[in-house]
Amino acid sequence: MAVSKLAPRTGDILLMVGTVKGAFIFLSDAARGNFRMSGPHFPGQSVWSAAFIGNGAARIIVGNKSEHWGAMVSHSDDFGATWTEPTEGNIKFPAGSSVSLNSIWALEAATSLGPEVVLAGVDPAALFRSDDRGETFQLNEALFNHPDRSKWNPGFGGLCLHSILVHPQDPRRMYVAISSGGIYRSDDGGGSWTTCVNGLRVHPDVAGAALCPHKLRFDAENPSCMYLQNHPGVYRTSNEGRGWVSIENGLPSDFGFPMVAHPRRGGTIYTFPLTSDEFRVPPGGVPRVWRSRNGGTSWEPLGKGLPDTNGFFTVLRDAFSADTLEPAGLYFGTRGGQLYNSNDEGESWRAIAEFLPPILCVKTSTVN
Amino acid sequence: MRVHIPSVLRKWTGGRDVVDLQVATTSCMTAAEVIGTVARQFPGLRDRVLNEQGELRRHVNIFIDGENARFLGGLSAPVGAHSEMWIHPSLSGG
Repeated sequence: MAVSKLAPRTGDILLMVGTVKGAFIFLSDAARGNFRMSGPHFPGQSVWSAAFIGNGAARIIVGNKSEHWGAMVSHSDDFGATWTEPTEGNIKFPAGSSVSLNSIWALEAATSLGPEVVLAGVDPAALFRSDDRGETFQLNEALFNHPDRSKWNPGFGGLCLHSILVHPQDPRRMYVAISSGGIYRSDDGGGSWTTCVNGLRVHPDVAGAALCPHKLRFDAENPSCMYLQNHPGVYRTSNEGRGWVSIENGLPSDFGFPMVAHPRRGGTIYTFPLTSDEFRVPPGGVPRVWRSRNGGTSWEPLGKGLPDTNGFFTVLRDAFSADTLEPAGLYFGTRGGQLYNSNDEGESWRAIAEFLPPILCVKTSTVN
Repeated sequence: MRVHIPSVLRKWTGGRDVVDLQVATTSCMTAAEVIGTVARQFPGLRDRVLNEQGELRRHVNIFIDGENARFLGGLSAPVGAHSEMWIHPSLSGG
């Protein structure tokens, strides 16, 4: 049942769910047995991204988009009871650049760069930085002017910069992933960017898909190691992206969108394989989360509580996330509007909500 | 000259559904100039009607005296001193 105002307490689990028809906020205590929902927020607008800023006063930020009036980053300082939309657009490409904002695919509170810092990835592919908790943003010029830009091609979802990773010990090292553009690393805090796609397989049919990463995540214990769900293939790098090796052996499909890493255990990762390329539903209509506990050397399906037949939903790249509790909680949303949760690291699943609009993103955080 | 504001944008005009501009009876502005003039008074309007390149958003329509501005020269369409201009969100499905 939806409530108009959530009353969070320290230690509660916050779920921010963006859909094509608005945002929904879920809140539970640490037992994660009873999620209360508020929403829809921004009804009728698509909400592609969300983040929680826990430093100082709590703030939720979302990347909301009206098909009529454009996209922007809005924020709430009272867990969704009220929202502040910027009077003027707060993510803009330079006048005269002939580029204009479509949507905001990624929002990340980058506290290792500064307590007020938020990074945004957008379509068309670009990185923006905010130093005031998501109220105003500045374009990363080095990536925007990268000589590779002319080779980037929009995919079915647009030309989106969807993954932003800041190295936890060395925040000058950052990674971004672009569909269909590739993976780029900066070692100087975003002042320059180098491509890191060595080893990724070329898709035989889809032009540009060779450089079409779908989701990039750090390993929980070793940030030199990252995992990638690519358009074709699933990959691991153990050397900061200088080379990638395939880890898809054992999965029912090399295609999918999300990739999630366990919050603490290195080598434990989750993905949601889909039949490629036109169909994009679980193989055989049997939706399963697949888990590896050894960095992708072997995989196991996790399906208790998920449909055993006739399950033809899709999980998009930003619609799967993990909390930081013990045991870790997992959450994914589908394009059919179901929101699933596991409180035992994927062993079993249950639906928190079943009839939401198509889900674009699921982010989680602990209220502090 | 009168500019009609759609209900969904009136939060950015203090609730006003029309904005009247006082211009000389012999003068003529472009649609872009009218939007710019209104947006100086109500800055929340500009970025919702135009993108950052100053182009009319894809799903926004401007009507001038009942005619769609796209067929009158777009944002260069002339708006006379006694004209009325409407800002409309496009109808769409889904």
